[in-house]
Amino acid sequence: MFAISKLSIRSGSQELVRSLSLELQDGEWLGLAGESGSGKSLTAAAIGGLLPRPLSCSGSILWNGLELLGLDAKSRRRLLGSEISYVFQDYRNTFTPFLTIGSQLTELLEAHLSLAARDRRQRCLEELEQAGLPAERVFGSYPYQLSGGQLQRAAIAAALLLRPKLLIADEPTTALDSLSSRKVLGLLDAAKSRFGISIIWITHDLRHARRHADRIAVMRTGSIVETGSARQVLEHPAHPYSRRLIASVPPLRREMPERLAASAGLEGEDPLDHPR
Amino acid sequence: MNTTMRNAGMLIAAAAAVALFSIPSPTPWNPYEISMGERLLPPGTEHWLGTDHLGRDLLARIIAGARPTIGIGLAVLLVSIAIGVPLGLLSGMKGGRTDSIFKPIIDGFMTFPDYLSAIILSALLGPGLMSMLIAVIAVKWVRYARLARSVALAEKEKDYAAMALLSGLSPVRLVLKHILPHAMGHVAALAAADLGKIILLMASLSYLGLGSQPPAPEWGSMLSEGRAYFHAAPHLMLAPGLAVMAAVLLAGFAGNRLRDRYDVKLKGGAE
Repeated sequence: MFAISKLSIRSGSQELVRSLSLELQDGEWLGLAGESGSGKSLTAAAIGGLLPRPLSCSGSILWNGLELLGLDAKSRRRLLGSEISYVFQDYRNTFTPFLTIGSQLTELLEAHLSLAARDRRQRCLEELEQAGLPAERVFGSYPYQLSGGQLQRAAIAAALLLRPKLLIADEPTTALDSLSSRKVLGLLDAAKSRFGISIIWITHDLRHARRHADRIAVMRTGSIVETGSARQVLEHPAHPYSRRLIASVPPLRREMPERLAASAGLEGEDPLDHPR
Repeated sequence: MNTTMRNAGMLIAAAAAVALFSIPSPTPWNPYEISMGERLLPPGTEHWLGTDHLGRDLLARIIAGARPTIGIGLAVLLVSIAIGVPLGLLSGMKGGRTDSIFKPIIDGFMTFPDYLSAIILSALLGPGLMSMLIAVIAVKWVRYARLARSVALAEKEKDYAAMALLSGLSPVRLVLKHILPHAMGHVAALAAADLGKIILLMASLSYLGLGSQPPAPEWGSMLSEGRAYFHAAPHLMLAPGLAVMAAVLLAGFAGNRLRDRYDVKLKGGAE
């Protein structure tokens, strides 16, 4: 399955990720939590072989017996998109701005499969439909013509298009309002139950963790300080840092006036979703 | 500037281009034919723009000069883009050692003003059309290289570039389909202003006697020839001068139109 062992990422003499080890079972949803700068996104970049130039990494990332670190470019390209795919935080930049969503989705299919043009289109439309989007319209739209939530759902459609086995979602809901976040997480949930995809969900917001994640790993300054089932970590955090992280989730009180909640973008938020 | 005006500019430019490049000789006069009895005639019914110091019809020479002036300007522009953009993209995308080779070259060229480098280069290469072309291309390609490089540097950091690579697209495909078109919008905008500048630069070089050589009709060298007679026959300089100005302006209009076509956001009108 998927296993990271002793992964270290360095920038010169500075160690940004320290001897990180992590395992993921088939069909498991792992929440990778921690504050900004704790090395979550670097770890995700290392998996895709996309670390920025001055950074170097050592250790091992095994994918079904295949070592991903030091994999040649061609094999990596075959793997990415089709077996391992990504969703980013910044939905505005996920798609190339001057190409339609449809052309970018079909390009993915082109790169990995040999399908007739009509089948490619059909496949994309189905996936957009599956993501709860007006498929035909979104297919022909430029990214700027869609709302944030729609774009992120289209990004998920793109990520799921080739039925990958592992999805790395780097803060996919951070830039979204809470209703759109719900929809996005719901889509990931559906993908998990539909075709047993494993998910690494990078987040600093533990609000939705209890509902969606099976397991949570808490990262701090480049290493994992605690891992455990979602319930266990959220309810009985062992490490002081985990306790601080959980306590820092903004509380949502029932008595918050509706108008205020709406202006804060928290409309429709379920306060019980918040771990105590 | 409104769309109607830009469209009009485009239309006039297109019509002028078609007329100039398709009709072999639009006037009954031969631009090379010397007629000493008709020297320095003012504009009139027979010679609409008058004649020059050798009695040649000015209108015929202006029209004959349009081909080398605009045609060569356009060719120089395209060659500069064809050299500069790929090198700039390569330098920006590769980064590291490749970039450290290109960057000082680009910066070095950019340090000197266009005119100065072009004059020095064409003087070194010796007067003549070919050396002028080489000089102008040598001066101009760096601007496109720099632009493409900076676009590549900026765009390759964006999520969509990372996403393309993380979806298994090849770097070549990323550049050709996702980054080059991005650069081309900026290139079109720069080229719009540049075609005019190139025409002007070449006219200046010819005016200085470094470019096109007599008796070839070229607007810059016509200006130069007319200078001696400026007080007696100002139309000798006025006609080619206005022709250069019109070409520069129309190139600007056409370029703006082109840039708008490339800009998805302006086209869509949303956001």
